[in-house]
Amino acid sequence: MTVDAELENWRRDWQTADAVPLDLRKSVERQTRAMRLGILGDVLVTVVMGGGTTWWTVSSRQPDVALLAAATWGFIVVAWAFGLAVNAGRWEPSALDTKAFLDLSISRCRARLATVKFSAGLAVCEMVFGLVWVYRHVPEPPPVLRWLFFSSIPIDFVWLFAAAFSVLLLWYRRKKKSELDYLLQVRQESV
Amino acid sequence: MMRNDALERDFDRLLSANGPALARLARSYTNTISDRDDLLQEIALAAWQALRRFRGECSERTFLFRIAHNRAIAHLARTRSQFAETGVEVDVPAPGLDPESEVSREQRADRLRRAVQRLPVPYREAITLALEDLDYAEIAAVLGTSESNVGARLTRARRMLRESLEEKK
Repeated sequence: MTVDAELENWRRDWQTADAVPLDLRKSVERQTRAMRLGILGDVLVTVVMGGGTTWWTVSSRQPDVALLAAATWGFIVVAWAFGLAVNAGRWEPSALDTKAFLDLSISRCRARLATVKFSAGLAVCEMVFGLVWVYRHVPEPPPVLRWLFFSSIPIDFVWLFAAAFSVLLLWYRRKKKSELDYLLQVRQESV
Repeated sequence: MMRNDALERDFDRLLSANGPALARLARSYTNTISDRDDLLQEIALAAWQALRRFRGECSERTFLFRIAHNRAIAHLARTRSQFAETGVEVDVPAPGLDPESEVSREQRADRLRRAVQRLPVPYREAITLALEDLDYAEIAAVLGTSESNVGARLTRARRMLRESLEEKK
């Protein structure tokens, strides 16, 4: 064995020890737990929303309610498909070293940023569909704009909820972007 | 002076990027995991205090390793009497390990760490930094010595390590 090869072998062996910083490992474990909780949340939404609208359709036997149930299931399927795709391959690090943990954290950050965009899009679609559906069932409906902004407290709550949801998404997006910048910088310096 | 949040961010980044290397360095100057963690805390504290005064005279890595090395030597000096009483950790082979079988990388790493721990301090200082991929100039900057001195220490350290590892085979 040449002298340099010997040193390189020692370096490889040496750097195997204490390979992953504790805070990084804990952060990845925390994210994994959050992802599991997210799946539980999705199951709950599926049961409550999907099951609720299906039950309503069966009990009322009205075509409009069936349309609402179908749309709800459509949204649920799209959300599940996105959720499964965005989490695929991001459940655990590919190796037990710093690089793999960092790569996973970066990949998860990017996935969360994509989720923010998807959630915003899905929320807009759901809101538009929901409002149109409700408007069609208003007896003697006023003009759309007046109905949307000045008709009732429940509709005002919809706007309030939309505003709060937007603020939450913007805050979360900013947080994840800052986390991503930080992780990319750490990875660059670790190389 | 850097703003506090920028300083905290730099500190976190520096420790995250170099955490494993610092842990290995601390481990080579301590006998137990809890001692290593204590030393790591000391290094982190010293780095935090020194970061305010850092003006980029050397690379951040050199700066951090210099602090870590100084803290490790101070820690060693404090515990020297304890070392003299207890001696260096006895190298007991892992139970069930067949000497004929190929040892895993973790076992080789453990054997290497123990061999490094047995080196006299001047050689240990140089080899731990070389094993973290620091070049001669960086090691010289961390240790406050010349590159030729680093070269001499490394040559000797490697010979001693080789002999130590051969003995343990």
